[in-house]
Amino acid sequence: MPCNDSISRRTMIRRLAIGASGTLLLSIFPKLSFGKEDAPGASQTPAKKRPLYAYAVDTSRCIGCCACMRACRAENDVPEGRFRTWVERYRVRANGEALVDVAAQDNFVFTEPPAEDIVKAFFVPKLCNHCEKSVCSQVCPVGASYESPEGVVLVDQKRCIGCGYCVQACPYGTRFIHPETHTAGKCTLCYHRITRGELPACVLACPKGARMFGDLHDPLSHLSVFMKQRRYRVLKPEMGTHPKCYYIDLDLEVV
Amino acid sequence: MTKQNDDMKVRPDYRHAYPVLVILFVLVTAGLTVRRLLVPKSFGEYGYFRADAMDDEKAIQPRHVGRAACVECHEDIAAIHAKDVHASVECETCHGVGGKHVKDNDVPMARADAKNDCLVCHRQLDARPGSFPQVDWQKHYQFVGVNDPTTACVRCHSGHEPLYLDHDLRTARLHPLIQQCNSCHMGRTDETLKKPDTHPKIFQCDYCHADLAKSFAQGSHTKVSCTTCHLFIKETAFSGRIVRNTNPKFCLLCHRKEAFKGNAGGKESGPPTIEWPAHIKDVSKDALDPNRPCVNCHQDQIHALYTKEAHHAM
Amino acid sequence: MNYVFPNELHVTWTVMIVLYPYITGLVAGAFIVSSLYHVFGREELKPISRFSLASAFVFLLFATLPLLMHLGHPERAFNIMLTPHFTSAMAGFGYIYTTYLILVALEIWFVMRCDLIKRAQESGFLPWICRIVVLFNYKDTPETREADHRVTKFLAGLGIPLACMLHGYVGFLFGSIKANPWWATPMMFIIFIFSAIVSGISVLIFHYFIVSRINGWKIDAACVRSLARYLWAFMMVAVALEMMELLSIAYEQTEATDVLGLLIRTKLFWSYVVLQFMVCSLVPFIMLAVTALFRLSDRVAYALIWLSSCMLLAQVLLMRWNVVIGGQLVSKSMRGFTSYMPGVWEKEGLITAAVIFTLPFGILYVFHRIVSLFPDVEKEGIPPHGV
Repeated sequence: MPCNDSISRRTMIRRLAIGASGTLLLSIFPKLSFGKEDAPGASQTPAKKRPLYAYAVDTSRCIGCCACMRACRAENDVPEGRFRTWVERYRVRANGEALVDVAAQDNFVFTEPPAEDIVKAFFVPKLCNHCEKSVCSQVCPVGASYESPEGVVLVDQKRCIGCGYCVQACPYGTRFIHPETHTAGKCTLCYHRITRGELPACVLACPKGARMFGDLHDPLSHLSVFMKQRRYRVLKPEMGTHPKCYYIDLDLEVV
Repeated sequence: MTKQNDDMKVRPDYRHAYPVLVILFVLVTAGLTVRRLLVPKSFGEYGYFRADAMDDEKAIQPRHVGRAACVECHEDIAAIHAKDVHASVECETCHGVGGKHVKDNDVPMARADAKNDCLVCHRQLDARPGSFPQVDWQKHYQFVGVNDPTTACVRCHSGHEPLYLDHDLRTARLHPLIQQCNSCHMGRTDETLKKPDTHPKIFQCDYCHADLAKSFAQGSHTKVSCTTCHLFIKETAFSGRIVRNTNPKFCLLCHRKEAFKGNAGGKESGPPTIEWPAHIKDVSKDALDPNRPCVNCHQDQIHALYTKEAHHAM
Repeated sequence: MNYVFPNELHVTWTVMIVLYPYITGLVAGAFIVSSLYHVFGREELKPISRFSLASAFVFLLFATLPLLMHLGHPERAFNIMLTPHFTSAMAGFGYIYTTYLILVALEIWFVMRCDLIKRAQESGFLPWICRIVVLFNYKDTPETREADHRVTKFLAGLGIPLACMLHGYVGFLFGSIKANPWWATPMMFIIFIFSAIVSGISVLIFHYFIVSRINGWKIDAACVRSLARYLWAFMMVAVALEMMELLSIAYEQTEATDVLGLLIRTKLFWSYVVLQFMVCSLVPFIMLAVTALFRLSDRVAYALIWLSSCMLLAQVLLMRWNVVIGGQLVSKSMRGFTSYMPGVWEKEGLITAAVIFTLPFGILYVFHRIVSLFPDVEKEGIPPHGV
């Protein structure tokens, strides 16, 4: 091709450079189209809908035995002093003051005998709320914290850099930095169990059925039916996180 | 500024900066290439994360095996366990995780039969729901006459069937409390019913079962509440199931003679106790069936028998 | 009272994360001082313009060090550039930081090119480095200088929004955490930018005085007095913004007011109320006002200005502490406080912090050995030309 003298070599190079750098700039964000696609196997079995796992806690049933905490620890190697789940005890005094505590040590057993001036008392189990709009996943700078297609909030232990931003962002205090792996740790809803069709360890261990787990996409699941029958609320709804852990009989004192 | 000293104005010469641009360009290109190579393959498959991370999570082996695995070998215990009040308690809640034991039966399970193990659930706490059985163990030991404080709960209450229910908990009938409400509240405008102070104490047994309560007050079991023998299992705020327990083993929880019971400091304490099973031979020449309910003989010591007439007269 | 969620007993962000916004703040502030000369033509700041640019550069080099010390997996740090999750305020860090680092490096290159060329003519190890840095191109003509000047001005102008972005972004990082009532405010990033400028000017004054004293240089009165006026202005805005934030918390009476009030009255009483506000804001404010409004002898004025710069350096450090640590002390249960005190020798302890904070000064000295940061400086005793 004969070289056109009106376009100098320099101009050509300049144009090429601009074009190339433009392309490169765009390719900084090569996967901007990352979106939630269909679940694994969804296309093969169209008849069965992908599950959406959720959790419910009937606080009126909880007896504060903390079997859930022990089961969680036995199932998941939760490090000493960190908690994937815990049971809060609320004791309201006659003067309206609320005493809140957790049996965080000694096998998680509450031992104090009843006190005179307590007018109302109850237990509230806590765990990761597996929020629909989980802030922890939102703020993870490297995409290591994510929501699985089944609605379970998980941490990629091989990509987590251990910055702790998710720990700060979680309004429920359910995350921690694992002192040995140095990555974010949290409740996985026993993902390894539920994907095998088993119950999370805490649900299994609860002797009073205060903890419930199920598939919201299955209208006949234990949880779906229960949710239709009972009135419930979530923790800190003002955070806009849309938790999928529903609390029945939640007291105003509980945050 | 250009108008007066056009000739003095220095035209910039940028040529020395071109290599810098080239270096920058090379650096950025190299960076982006490296980035392309290092992003994991499965990243972005389902969202902004590495899809294989879910497989990492799934690969973890469960440690709790669940009741079904226990039943495979311990069918006998499972059958007992399933009918009593501990039916809702998972085996592994008391015995620890069973993963290892299932793989290798020589690995023992935990026993959890010390007093403190039971008190994890049954210690009296103000935050425990009132309907849940809970004890101040010192008071309870005093009441049943246990004088050795080191005695384990399982000496009387088996962990698998703590109350020795004589029929399956699951077949217990729903106590018709709600029907009682309706019988007054439907179509009646009796003002007294709407005043809290004058409202009948429907949650107290003797309101409906006055005749039985009256005869009960004359018996010897006045220190025991109705729901001790007529176990009440609360289902909602207004209803529950009633299980009447006439298993002799249940009566023997209090009345069996044990080394750790009674005669504390030479003084008789707790309820009267009997030698078992010698007691059957003592009272009858032809040996009675040891599963015969005690109330067949001892009904008068508890309360008069339930009669339909008395019930409907209420 | 005093219930904290069990995971909150461990404070996740340590003194390293206090240091990180502090150092980036120094960067942003120092850079803005250099831009006041390069872009806005504040000629009186010329003596300190190179020094400020170089300070910005060395602090920028060390801004990531406290972060790397803090990360559970520093070896995975580049994940933030490999898979930046842009829904996260933190994800931009890698790219913003790198862009800014390149920009400052380029600006330094263009500003100091002629001096680097001069130095490159000598023999020895450092001149050898200079030769590589100027890319073996020793052409130094009025034309190239004009080009350098124009590029510098362009980069310095571009750098101001980037500096604000880098540092405002750090503020946003905290301000966007809705779960934390002590952090969650849109004011946070503006507060951070102004406190950054305050700390940047302070560190320059502080360091300039020390360097001058050690070397027996004549302090440039016009420069220092101008810096002091800027410092006074920016510190007033910074403190006013912080007060406004406090005022709105107190006035709005939201559900967080009680717990934050208690936080200020108890856990942060000394570091926040007494030291940050009463001592390190009020006293420098008065001293700087006096130097700006009254005719004082250079000796007295310098003393007041230097003292103010020290106290304001401390004020900004305290502010970072009170934000980063203070925010984590409040339990998300709103029912109590946890506590935190850094260890001395631990990985994220005080010694590490001190080393990280001292290192940039050392590198700055090496920098100065390669190319003088004060090319026009005069020795004490020789009368200054302009003043």
